[in-house]
Amino acid sequence: MKTVRIVALRQDRKRLLEHLQDSALVQIKRVEKSRSGFERVDMSRPMQVFERNVTLTEQALKILDSVSPEKGGMLASLKGRREVDPDEIGEIAAKSSEVISICKRLAELDKKRSDNSAERTRIATQLVQLEAWQKLDIPLNTTETKSTAVFVGTFPEQYSEAALKEAIAAENPKLEFVTEIDHSEEAMTCAVIFVPQSQRTMAEDVLRTLGFARPMGATSKIPKVKSERLREKSERLRLENEMAEDEIKSLVPRRSDIKITQDYFRIRADKYNVINNLDHSKHVFIIEGFVPEDDCEKLKELCERVATCTVDFEDAGDDAPVKLKNNKFAEPAQGILTMYSPPGKGDLDPTPLLAFFFYFFFGMMFSDAGYGLLMVIVIGIALKVFKPDKKMRNNLKLFQYCGISTTVWGLVFGSIFGDAPASLYNYFAGTTDMTMAKLLPWPTLDPQKDALLLMVISIAFGLVHILVGMGCKFVVCFREKDYAAAFFDTGLWMLLLIGLAVLAAGMFLAPVLVTVGAVIAIGCAVGLVLTQGRGKKGIVGKAIGGLASLYDVTSYISDLLSYSRLLALGLTTGVMAQVFNMLATMMGKSVVGFIFMVIIFIAGHLINIGLNALGSYVHTMRLQYVEMFSKFYEGGGKEFEPFSLQSKYIKIQEDNK
Amino acid sequence: MDGMFFALLGASIATALAGIGSAKGVGGAAQAAMGVLSEDSSQFGKMLVLTLLPGTQGLYGFIVGFLILVSCGVLGGSAPTLAQGLCFLGASLAIGLGGLFSGIAQGKAAVSGIAMSAKDSKNFSKGMVSVTLVEIYALLAFIVSLLVVIQIPNLAI
Repeated sequence: MKTVRIVALRQDRKRLLEHLQDSALVQIKRVEKSRSGFERVDMSRPMQVFERNVTLTEQALKILDSVSPEKGGMLASLKGRREVDPDEIGEIAAKSSEVISICKRLAELDKKRSDNSAERTRIATQLVQLEAWQKLDIPLNTTETKSTAVFVGTFPEQYSEAALKEAIAAENPKLEFVTEIDHSEEAMTCAVIFVPQSQRTMAEDVLRTLGFARPMGATSKIPKVKSERLREKSERLRLENEMAEDEIKSLVPRRSDIKITQDYFRIRADKYNVINNLDHSKHVFIIEGFVPEDDCEKLKELCERVATCTVDFEDAGDDAPVKLKNNKFAEPAQGILTMYSPPGKGDLDPTPLLAFFFYFFFGMMFSDAGYGLLMVIVIGIALKVFKPDKKMRNNLKLFQYCGISTTVWGLVFGSIFGDAPASLYNYFAGTTDMTMAKLLPWPTLDPQKDALLLMVISIAFGLVHILVGMGCKFVVCFREKDYAAAFFDTGLWMLLLIGLAVLAAGMFLAPVLVTVGAVIAIGCAVGLVLTQGRGKKGIVGKAIGGLASLYDVTSYISDLLSYSRLLALGLTTGVMAQVFNMLATMMGKSVVGFIFMVIIFIAGHLINIGLNALGSYVHTMRLQYVEMFSKFYEGGGKEFEPFSLQSKYIKIQEDNK
Repeated sequence: MDGMFFALLGASIATALAGIGSAKGVGGAAQAAMGVLSEDSSQFGKMLVLTLLPGTQGLYGFIVGFLILVSCGVLGGSAPTLAQGLCFLGASLAIGLGGLFSGIAQGKAAVSGIAMSAKDSKNFSKGMVSVTLVEIYALLAFIVSLLVVIQIPNLAI
């Protein structure tokens, strides 16, 4: 990684930044304060405009989705961004203001739609209230004529006309009145009462005691007419909504334009964000950043081609970001590494080792030739059909390689969809004694029968894995010229572990090896006791430090036993597949039995794939992170994040100018 | 007297206890997930994965129970002797108890994972990995039960 400083003329700023963004070669440093003699250019206003436009388009897309959801569902996320010709950018820019006005129109329509819906709900409640007054032929808010006082309202009780008259008369026998009941139901009576103007106050008193109330929101229109008007209005709003929806629907074909415009503004906002952080003088401006060593020439050539500028490179310090570079085999595993932490200063890039062991262990845990082939084929098709972006492609590739390893291990363990070939043979031939071992022409290692052997093999692989990790530590120490740490702290432990392994192997194979292993192990242990206290002061301190270091052997043992999960997960996949096969063929040979078998077979194996692929993935990762990385890997680096097109939907084709 | 009763008791223990663990785990996780989904239904896929993680224990228990049924004469095989029946019972305790408690523990971890990925969906994979780490203990219990159960019919006891 190098640092780069580009000093260029202000007039070339737009062109230069555009090219830098397209090429994604530089990570631009952000410095809080400008150096003396230079100043910042405030670009926050145009930036805000662009960001607002991005939000507008996001809203517009949501509105379009509410009317016509985009097809594709889950698989759509696999799809790569659409490639756009660099020349198309001008066109997009020219169209952008039109697209933004479409988005604004969409927002308007959507607002109208929701306003209208709210209004219609209000009308509906009003209509319900008016329902009781349909027979009334005077306006609801009538209070008087020249000679009579008019009371239109409700009583909180159910009255017939006679009952109401009686009730009023009982309150005040002197009152003269005429009444008309428009509607009566349980606990409510809608009525009109006419009394002479002279008895108005008397009537008010009587009615108050009876709980009379004038209707809410009374209007000057006759209820029937009012209802009619409201219905008309509601209908008109409905039609308006339909039209609005139609208009939104008519804009659905512009979805892709809106997406492209969104990206266009997103890219521009990014660019202005960078300009905000650059130092400007009257005539020139300065870009400082990081660039990978291999790209220096390319960057220099690019800058000099598009702008009048000077480009200087310097070695980057410790704070430089890291860009991982690996071959095709190891690249998919980079994601696993960065999920842990990108390599820090002085770290080896462990991706190739990580990749190999990841594929290897995943295969051993998932261990089924049928599942493995399925993974390879399905992912192959997905890669062809969807052409996903780099990150997604790497993830898929990771599992494709894992699939190959799974297939190989499946063949070793004699497992193809569990024991499907054998159990299907038994099902159709009516036999019961066919097994995978008889069916397969090569010798297989059955995890159920040879569980102990497989356990030993798992731990042996674990030993290799750990030794490789310690080997990396050795190399790192050696590179930093810390020879004591390389040979004493790492080398002796490696030898000790090898000695113990030889000793253990000797117990089963040949007594000579026991002696050899014991000699190596004891020699190393003595070496460790002598050297591990070297940092301490005084003879006693050194001796205690040395002896105490031997206690580390427990952590190595627990690390090694952790690899028994290779056996555990491998066994689980096989057994679960077998149980599903057993369930599937249980119903016997009949039409119903056959249908049952097909359904259970497919569903069961899908469940098994889902569960055990996830388990294998996670536990493989754990073996890498906890058992291997703890031996040598520091991490803590920062990922190289170049100034680039952070677009969601489109990517610019690389031009080979 | 043969060991049929004890074998069937073993099958029940394996299936039921591990099932209870999973049911509690998945139930708690599902409650948390539905809370998240009521706010943002687009997270359904992720929530589903986290909710289902504590569901494996029940499956392990079922497999052990099923294998016992297959080898003790209910769905095939021959009736076990008394000693074999007791062996089935003993073997089923591993996945029964292991599944019960690991399922509950994993359910709690899943609830936290759901809360974490609701805040920021980038945290989803970390949450998933952490929740799956509990799985290994159910798996080990399952392996022990399994290795014993498949050996019992061959034992001359």
